[in-house]
Amino acid sequence: GLVQSCGHIIPESPVLALGSNFTALCILNESCLDFGNIYANQIIWKIKNRVVPKEQYREINRTVSSVTFNDTSSLATPLTCNVLADGQIEQNIYGITVTLGLPPEKPKNLSCIVHQLSKLTYPMTCTWNPGRHTFLDTHFKLKYRWPRENFPDCIPKDANNSCTISDVQFFVNLEVWVEVANALGKNESDRLVFDPIEIVKPLSPHNLSVNSGILPTVLKLSWENRISTAVMKLKFNIRYRIINETNWMQVPSEDTASPRTSFSVQGLRPYTEYVFSIRCMKEDGVGYWSDWSEEKTGVTTED
Amino acid sequence: AQRHSQQDSHIQYERVGADVTMKCGSMDWDAAVTWTANGTDIDDSHLNGSYLILKNVDLTQSGQYSCYEGSSWHLKYQTYLRVGTPPKEPVLMCRSNNYPKGFYCSWHLPSPTYIPNSFNISVIHGTREMVCEKDIFPKNRCHIRYLQLFLTVKYKVTLTVTNALGKNSTSLTFDEFAIVKPDPPESVVAKPVPNNPRRLEVAWQNPSSWPDPESFPLKFFLRYRPLILDQWQHVELLDGTSHTITDAYAGKEYIIQVAAKDNDIGTWSDWSVAVHATPWTEEPKHLTTEAQVTETTSASTSYFVPPPTTKICDWWAVRP
Amino acid sequence: LGAGQSIQKTYDLTRYLEHQLRTLAGTYLNYLGPPFNEPDFNPPRLARAEQVPSATVDLDLWRGLTDNARLAANYRAYSRLLCYLRGLDGQAGTAELRHRLGHFCSSLQGLVVSIAGVMSSLGYPLPAGPAGPPLPPGAPAAPNDFLKKMDDFWLLKELQTWLWRSAKDFNRLKKKVPPAVVTLRLEARGF
Repeated sequence: GLVQSCGHIIPESPVLALGSNFTALCILNESCLDFGNIYANQIIWKIKNRVVPKEQYREINRTVSSVTFNDTSSLATPLTCNVLADGQIEQNIYGITVTLGLPPEKPKNLSCIVHQLSKLTYPMTCTWNPGRHTFLDTHFKLKYRWPRENFPDCIPKDANNSCTISDVQFFVNLEVWVEVANALGKNESDRLVFDPIEIVKPLSPHNLSVNSGILPTVLKLSWENRISTAVMKLKFNIRYRIINETNWMQVPSEDTASPRTSFSVQGLRPYTEYVFSIRCMKEDGVGYWSDWSEEKTGVTTED
Repeated sequence: AQRHSQQDSHIQYERVGADVTMKCGSMDWDAAVTWTANGTDIDDSHLNGSYLILKNVDLTQSGQYSCYEGSSWHLKYQTYLRVGTPPKEPVLMCRSNNYPKGFYCSWHLPSPTYIPNSFNISVIHGTREMVCEKDIFPKNRCHIRYLQLFLTVKYKVTLTVTNALGKNSTSLTFDEFAIVKPDPPESVVAKPVPNNPRRLEVAWQNPSSWPDPESFPLKFFLRYRPLILDQWQHVELLDGTSHTITDAYAGKEYIIQVAAKDNDIGTWSDWSVAVHATPWTEEPKHLTTEAQVTETTSASTSYFVPPPTTKICDWWAVRP
Repeated sequence: LGAGQSIQKTYDLTRYLEHQLRTLAGTYLNYLGPPFNEPDFNPPRLARAEQVPSATVDLDLWRGLTDNARLAANYRAYSRLLCYLRGLDGQAGTAELRHRLGHFCSSLQGLVVSIAGVMSSLGYPLPAGPAGPPLPPGAPAAPNDFLKKMDDFWLLKELQTWLWRSAKDFNRLKKKVPPAVVTLRLEARGF
């Protein structure tokens, strides 16, 4: 008759580290011994449908046979325990799925940036190097906290190397780190401690306007800053070029190194059309330059 | 004939445009009398019997009016007529230019009344009345010393003006912070930067009336323009009392002013006295720093609107 | 963080909060509607609103506060104000307003954390218990919507005033503890 669940394998569906060694046991039920006249020494281990070399077997006792793999890289799934029943009919006793992978490495190069989205919205995106592929279901969490105050974890969506916190708080040092875990273990990145105000990429100035004045060599720029002075004081870069030319010239940065909303660019060619663009960043140089603003043109008056 | 004066004169107030009738003391209507205004006889056309009739009086008719008995020239009646108007609603302004010491209120009438007025000011805070100590100079001003700070209850100041012809009043309700307005920065100095044809260094001092700039720091607005242009450039400075203009037109004379404001509360001061300076050029230009009163006057009228754990909470946490 | 740096950050945060509150309060009062959003609205302060920690202080007393007392007053006040703020109507107006209220609450929590950081960097113990008299048990919530809005009005006003006071408090502290000073030889609790 058919052999009904005559045994089982332990461990049950293990997750194994690639390159490690592994031993499985196939344990026959006593009932099978009497009924089917089956003994551990008749067990045949198979990977998929490939027989495992007998040298890797060991008969532990009448009902238990083990198989050992010195390097799980050669393993595959399923791993089955089978016997030759009634003479030469191979009968499957039990099978397990084997999942192979790697424990997560320590996430590295954690870095964060706050992209200003609007006057009051400052999401912070942190990115990191997730390390080698683990071949396993591996979960990353961006964790961040203040002293005595934890925040809900940031769970990456459809990526394993970045997460965005929707609205970050300034002027309080934040401790940030990445935790990663899978079936084979967990790990955590180094911890960063910083004030998010130090990693802001502000929105570029907007509503840039260019006005020609009385002097033929001067054009006056005016613009609006989109980040409040309560958040940060700004410094600027102003670049300009003659229309249809490619090389940009730049106002010496030391001349635009403090908060302002206008600047008179001088030393221009009379009766010439110029293109201007401006960018900004935190006055003390901590953080990131904004993108360049939209370009605006202006024409100097005739001499 | 010798005119004898024995009657005590008194002051009579009348509104501009009023019709005034004066009786000659106890003399009968039909008695013969003579009226004088400031010693000049008034012709009979103004008389109705012994009564003096003044129609639609105006300011020029203020003066001393005397009535003498016809034959004996005895002074029977004398008054000093003051023609004026009742007070209009006074203009009241309260301001703290020395926060957190206190604030002062000053007032004036929008138009003269030509007769003496008396002012009475009351300052209520919550339910408490506070004394507004009159200043010797300027006259229409008094000041209040802050006993408490950081109040959420408003102050209410009521000014009542009274004269012989009427009474009027006005009141202001304000928060402690709303009236903080420093005096303009002082000692503004601007000078060229050697070898830098587009730079000007500007420095100034906190207004001396601001008592504690360290605890109550001021921020500043600087405006500058070449004399050849009308449009100002502005820079807001969050700390410090100096700034370097880096985009001055080479060789052009500049006019520069500074305004101040408490870092957190209140409104901007008026603009400071204007100073002039011209950036360095190969042959340094003459440096002028005289006050431009006219400039200040025009400047001072423009105000600058400055460009916002989690424990079990008791009270409100139980809200419906 | 050194004490001086910690104080500077706390000051910056106070001004940032004040900046946020300036627009947030206006939006919230508009949500409450007239008369609450009228500039001259000057309502009485009822008993419930008296529970909100008041920033009002005698001038001489305020000047004479020790650094520890000054910080402790701020710490207690914001700990309590935070509770009240979290009690604001959770259905308030638009999703945008609710989001900004949430962000502001988090910022205010940051201020409490920041003040605690300053206190520990100066070696002061954190005050236990909230500021102000504990509410008598069973104190009724506002009996009607108008009075509830009145409570919210006074909370926002008191919060605004506290932020102004704190800015001045931290200016005074900055003066006494310049950024360059070496932190007291105390293990900075927290991280």
